[in-house]
Amino acid sequence: MGQKGSKIEVTKADKAVLQLKISKDDLHRYTRRTELLINNERQQLRHLLKEDPKNGKKNPRVRLILKRIHYQSHLLDQAADQLINLENMVATVEFKLIEQQFIAGLKQGNDVLTKLNKEFAGAEDLLDDVQEQIAYQEEIDQILSTSVVGGFEDELDRELQQLDQEVNGSQNLPELPSTEGLPAIQDSKQGSESVKQGEIGEEAKQEKAEEEERRTEPLLA
Amino acid sequence: MTEPQTITAQLPPIYSFPPLYTCQPNALIRQQQLDTWCELILEFAKTNKAWCMSQEGTIVTNSEQASSIPSIFVNEQIQRSAAAPFIEEIWSKMLQSEKAIRSSKSTYIILWKSLDSWSSLILQWCESSGKLNQVITLYELTEGDETLDWEFHGMDIELCEKCLLKLCDRGRATMLKDQGKVMGVKIV
Repeated sequence: MGQKGSKIEVTKADKAVLQLKISKDDLHRYTRRTELLINNERQQLRHLLKEDPKNGKKNPRVRLILKRIHYQSHLLDQAADQLINLENMVATVEFKLIEQQFIAGLKQGNDVLTKLNKEFAGAEDLLDDVQEQIAYQEEIDQILSTSVVGGFEDELDRELQQLDQEVNGSQNLPELPSTEGLPAIQDSKQGSESVKQGEIGEEAKQEKAEEEERRTEPLLA
Repeated sequence: MTEPQTITAQLPPIYSFPPLYTCQPNALIRQQQLDTWCELILEFAKTNKAWCMSQEGTIVTNSEQASSIPSIFVNEQIQRSAAAPFIEEIWSKMLQSEKAIRSSKSTYIILWKSLDSWSSLILQWCESSGKLNQVITLYELTEGDETLDWEFHGMDIELCEKCLLKLCDRGRATMLKDQGKVMGVKIV
């Protein structure tokens, strides 16, 4: 049969519901049959009474049929009650099945949550470690910044000096009119030479500072 | 009641065409004739909600009460009836064109809707009434109060089973058996 191939599984609960429903169907069938029977008998009764209006009421057959009708309708009531019971039962079982699924879902969610929480167990150590690392990093930063700032300042100074020399030097030197063919003026020449000497002296100072920097650098690393 | 009249009233005028009841010798015309008969039977079954018909052309019902409608192959009004061999031929045409299924030796299930469309209709009912993933008995499906407004209400159990098997093939249903008999179905 085809049902072997399908993947839908049939649980025990399904089978139980099936049994319940089969009984329900039986009751349903019984109710219908009895209703039909009662209707038939009622018609029969009417027929009998119409046929014999005078003695009809005393006819034992008429009384019997009426009794039967009453008995059948009593049974019908019982059947209806049972039908309701069974229907309630089916509904309850179906609801329980849904509840079961609900519980299963809850459980699964809980499992996932605990698993995730477990992954956070090392968080405190991790945070401590991170804090430590940050502190260390800050220390390093401080050391680096203090020593580097000095060197950097020096470099700036030197660059400024260089720029100054370039700018001022180029302004002073090329703009001087050529002295060739002019009578020598002693005072002014001496003055410019002394300016040059001063510059040289500054350059030497800078070289010294660089050397100092180089010496201090290995200590930083 | 004059049932023959009701049949003629139910069916198109061709039903009262006398040559229809005689097996036509010309092959081409005979095909046409058989097709017409198939349509008439389908129409007849549909209007009378007949799930099952006997070889003789009467309606077969599950309940004990005999059908009051006479055979479709007998037209009292024009005093014509189809001969048994011809009736046989009509039925084999019905089977061949998948408009009927042989149920037992002399009864046929009439498919005025194809198995596929019946099964989709059942599926539609399950979907619209929230019966998915629940156990439903065949009785509930065919006779229950919840399907009263649906076309498949009162459906022949055998036909119902065949429709549900179609759903099983599509992987939408599982049959539930009780004491070796298919009693219920679970549709997802």
